[in-house]
Amino acid sequence: MADDLNMILVVILVVMAVALAFSIGANDETLASLIGAGVIKFKIALIIGGTAIGAGMIGFSGGFVPETVGRSLLGEGLESKYTNIMLLTVLISSIIWLVVGSFAGIPLSSTHSLIGSIVGVVIVYAIFQGGVTLDNAFNYTKLGNVVLSWFISPISGFVITFLLYKVSAKFFLSRLKGLNQIEKSEKSFKWLLLISVIFAEIWVGANSGEALGILLGLRVNGSINSGQYITFAIFCAIFAFLGIYFAARYVIRNLASHMIDTRPSEGFIIQMSSAIILMIATLWALPISHSHVIVFCIIGMSIAQKKEVDYKGLGKMGLYWVLTFPIAAFLAGFLYFILSSFGLS
Amino acid sequence: MIEIDEKELNKLSIDKLTHIFMDAINQQNIVLIEGIEFLVEENFDSFEKNLRYVIDTNTEVKIKKKFESKIFKSKLMFSKADRLKLFNRINEIKNIGEFIANKMLLYRVVFPDENFKSQIQDVLKSLKLISNNLSTAVKSVGSDLSKAHDICEEVKDERRRMREKEWQLLNRLYNYDMDYLSRTFIYLKELVEDIMMLADHIKTFSESIQFLATKYLIFD
Repeated sequence: MADDLNMILVVILVVMAVALAFSIGANDETLASLIGAGVIKFKIALIIGGTAIGAGMIGFSGGFVPETVGRSLLGEGLESKYTNIMLLTVLISSIIWLVVGSFAGIPLSSTHSLIGSIVGVVIVYAIFQGGVTLDNAFNYTKLGNVVLSWFISPISGFVITFLLYKVSAKFFLSRLKGLNQIEKSEKSFKWLLLISVIFAEIWVGANSGEALGILLGLRVNGSINSGQYITFAIFCAIFAFLGIYFAARYVIRNLASHMIDTRPSEGFIIQMSSAIILMIATLWALPISHSHVIVFCIIGMSIAQKKEVDYKGLGKMGLYWVLTFPIAAFLAGFLYFILSSFGLS
Repeated sequence: MIEIDEKELNKLSIDKLTHIFMDAINQQNIVLIEGIEFLVEENFDSFEKNLRYVIDTNTEVKIKKKFESKIFKSKLMFSKADRLKLFNRINEIKNIGEFIANKMLLYRVVFPDENFKSQIQDVLKSLKLISNNLSTAVKSVGSDLSKAHDICEEVKDERRRMREKEWQLLNRLYNYDMDYLSRTFIYLKELVEDIMMLADHIKTFSESIQFLATKYLIFD
């Protein structure tokens, strides 16, 4: 009976992880700048973007961000293992909070929501289950680094974009005199934009460790073996591709229509900056929010160009960003507490 | 007169087509202005010849068609719409010029006095200047937007000076003591207003070129 229940749980978790991978692709708007600049045809862009995100996901599935989400956030007290109920609670609570956020029109980070949920579940586990204390339930160094990276990554995105733009404006862009010269230069930038978007998509896939983190958690607790993990990871990559190809097209097309006037040089600087941040974070196995980084890159560009920034809107967004972590933690903790009281832990 | 055959037109780039279109329209504009100057001098034959030239010339249509087919297929990325707008604005000058020419041929006016003549010649001189300057500005868009921006500033300044002269002309016209022939009054009033209309279009065009410069130029 217990084995059957566990098997059902594993199947549910795998399906949810794959669905999460699909939603990662579906919510990805990296391609918008490429479409807006009219660099390549829409369907080709979707195929390239989908392939890149899938490649990033599969290429870094052996450790890095999935390792952080699926194992290394946990301390010695938990022997770095989640139970399947813990994983399910983490997924359900982060999905609930994201859905609520979407209906309320609040832009939220799935990464912050997932990590917040993990923290909430582990705190409740430490309080109500025996043998674990709050002191040894977490790998505090890792957790500290993750939270710190959420503040450092957007700021770094802002600084890199600002500096890259200022340097390119000083030494190159300001020297372009006429429309012909500008057009010619932007034509070259469109290929650089294509490269930077592919580069960014790879790191978006590599840093989106939510789905693979859950699968890695299942592998670590022995519910699936390494072969199954790789198979499911490939599924996740395929579904991320399908997410971009079938679902992200609407959001991409909508965003792209607002970006027709955006110059490929500007798009290149923004995409390159965010890709660099994502790459560094991924190599340090830190799950960060891609949308936070890109928003700050855009702000960095706007300030460098002396354009107006909507600070009021930004403040509101910042508040939701800060609130996501504790709310997701509370929600997950509460859910886990309910499940534990029914003997499901 | 600018005459280019089909083969040569095919070889020209979008930028070059804009230049020769601008030249063709500016040339017609200058012919129109000189035609009005002939009217002021009461040289009616030359006046009519010039105005007929403005109405009958359609070399620019060939250039326009070639430009439209080229820009439609062009791989220009982000300046396509702006180049098309620029071209259409040049075309509007031709439409205004043609409208003025047709209207002016409706009646043979005799100017009231030498002062009026000299004031209107002064205004026409300014119109010629801003028309030529606009042509240079349009041709600089592709190679030097800063230069185009500065020329447009000069056009706007000259237009400002013109406006004062035009109001003085209208004021003079409305306050003549003599009992004026109503046709002459209407003709002269509309002549001044039409010159204002053409000058206003050139000024608005200049502002749109300045907008382009602001949009595309990056300063460190």
